[in-house]
Amino acid sequence: MLRDKRSEYLTALVLVGPFVLIYGALFVWPTIQMVMLSFTKAPLIGPGDWVGIDNYVKILGHKLFHSAFWNTAYFVLLTVVPNTLVSLLIAMAVNRLNGWVQGFVLACFFLPYILPVSVVFLAWNWIIDVQYGLAQVFVRPFNGGEPMSLTRTIPAFMPTVAFVTVWWTMGFNILLFIAGLRNVSPEIYEAAQLDSAGRWRQFSRITWPLLWPITALVLTIQLIAQLKIFDQVYLFSIGGRQDATITLVQYVYKLAFQQNKGGEAATAAVLLFGMIVVLSVLQYQVLRTRGDK
Amino acid sequence: MTKSLRRLALASTAFFALATGAMAQQTVVWWDFLAGGDGVRMKALIEAFNTEHAGEITIENTTLEWGTPFYTKLQTSAAIGEGPDIATYHLSRIPLAVDSGTLSEITDEDMAGAGISDADFTAAASDAGKVDGTRYAVPFDQHGLILYYNKDMLAEAGLIGDDGLPTGLDGLENFNAVLAKFTGDGKYGVSTPTGDRYRTIYSLFGQQGGTMFDEAAGGFFPTDEDVAKLTAAIDVVKGWVDSGYTPVQVESPAALALFTSQQSPFFIMGNWEIPTFVDLHAKGELFEWGAVELPTLFETKAAWSDSHAFVIPANAGKEADADKRAAVLKVIAWMDQHSLDWAGAGHIPAYNAVRDSAEFQTLKPQSDYAGFADTAVFDPRTILAGPAAPLGDAWSNYVNPATTGEIEPADAATQMRDDLNGQL
Repeated sequence: MLRDKRSEYLTALVLVGPFVLIYGALFVWPTIQMVMLSFTKAPLIGPGDWVGIDNYVKILGHKLFHSAFWNTAYFVLLTVVPNTLVSLLIAMAVNRLNGWVQGFVLACFFLPYILPVSVVFLAWNWIIDVQYGLAQVFVRPFNGGEPMSLTRTIPAFMPTVAFVTVWWTMGFNILLFIAGLRNVSPEIYEAAQLDSAGRWRQFSRITWPLLWPITALVLTIQLIAQLKIFDQVYLFSIGGRQDATITLVQYVYKLAFQQNKGGEAATAAVLLFGMIVVLSVLQYQVLRTRGDK
Repeated sequence: MTKSLRRLALASTAFFALATGAMAQQTVVWWDFLAGGDGVRMKALIEAFNTEHAGEITIENTTLEWGTPFYTKLQTSAAIGEGPDIATYHLSRIPLAVDSGTLSEITDEDMAGAGISDADFTAAASDAGKVDGTRYAVPFDQHGLILYYNKDMLAEAGLIGDDGLPTGLDGLENFNAVLAKFTGDGKYGVSTPTGDRYRTIYSLFGQQGGTMFDEAAGGFFPTDEDVAKLTAAIDVVKGWVDSGYTPVQVESPAALALFTSQQSPFFIMGNWEIPTFVDLHAKGELFEWGAVELPTLFETKAAWSDSHAFVIPANAGKEADADKRAAVLKVIAWMDQHSLDWAGAGHIPAYNAVRDSAEFQTLKPQSDYAGFADTAVFDPRTILAGPAAPLGDAWSNYVNPATTGEIEPADAATQMRDDLNGQL
């Protein structure tokens, strides 16, 4: 059959064109502009004078940038793997349920995920409140019988926000894991049982390897999401020592919107962008090789 | 052909008639950040204005989140020409707003057209609305830190004088002794939210006559003496925490609850909480209460203060329409002339005629603390000042934690000075 190459290109262009245009206009072009802005001494709005790499030297030597970097890294450490593990455990438990009970339990776990962050913040802020909070019942024994402010005591801040974040976001991961678990055919477990494989062996030799692609996906999505952490940390730190718990996005926000330093904010954003690209590509590659085995 | 032309002409005349008719009716887009008890009063004022000016001017109001979100949104929307026609603003933030090009100049002619002038306000307030002699804001009120008290508890302790007001609170030793009297059994001498303590500390700094900012003398807290005064002010509040007179950590809503549930006879807060107590009392859910100026714990009277004002955002790319501008200024003038209702929200009207009126003089407890307007300490005039600006951040990063024992007061004072000077 003769193929009209030109009309194929045209079809491809019509199908892909809109996406490429929108992607270019809303992502690629702003990214290029951000990089260009990072070399200028610009205010939040409008252009500024070219200063070369001055902003990079300044930001990289800025104490607050270092603390933002470590706080973000700490938050990633506290959320990414724990969230994935907890989600996997809950998904396996939910998967054992049947019928409407399963649907109900799943809905319960998923419900927090659809709440806006402001609602999550308000609810938890009252739960952990140092004067009236319900959670103080559990906190008191660890603090010599005294109540303790979990968000105003700096060492407790990140673990608290990480806990709330895991509670809030695990619903989506549970769904992904359940989808993955349902894809594992029951015959494999049946065969394993016939070969008298125990629960642990079934998990380590069947469930875990077959779920690996999903796990890798969940870990990567989590890593990117948590590197960009802003909302919860910002909300819980309002009225407190924001600099002590500052994260990278918050640092960008502070420079841009509170200090009117567009150029320096762009520099910090470029650095964060670079970190996310490198880390997520690296992590995904590592996880993929693990999966190929 | 001629017939259809004539029809077209008729139709377009009718259209233009409609259009000019619509032009006479102005819609003024209004943004504010007043979401608390004072927000209710502001909405009532706007409604009254709209009723009075029906068919002429309509205010379309939106209330946004106080603080950084409000100021950020105003700045970015003005930059692309999508800002409101009028907005509320803190006078302390005017230098920063002008530096970022958010505000439009308000000329003497603008003011005269609406029948107001600088002479209608205190010199301090109208000067605070200007940068290098150019006016960017019209003052609306003055608000500041006051001392709320539980009259029943004080009376029982013999601390109410013959004039019905609290007595024996002045002087650090006296005040601490009073606080000690009420502390114990899960009760506190004074309720002061951790996140707002810097206002008390700034007031006490002012009571020692400290200088916060002097560009010529080297920026923030220019002399060692000023740093020492700030340290002394922090020490007072830290002392309250250390002695158990006030909780170490308490969020604003809980701090309010400590006062309303009679666990504390005093509450140090801005006057914007007045409506909360007025409303609770009207519902029969609150004891006898009152509010006075902060006690003088050091040499002179002083209390932290700021002003709400009206500004006209410089909407980029949108030519100023003379009719719209006149309508906006009419709104501003009307609001100032009717600010007695606003005083109900606890604020002290900036408009002289209202503040001097007999109605305001008899308003309680407003007139009991109105004196703070004369001894107020404002934020310094710098682009770092104002709510949700670097100065506000520095207070909460260094000074508030110094009251809870996380940083030594002296270190907090020097770290705050160095951080702010580093940002100049």
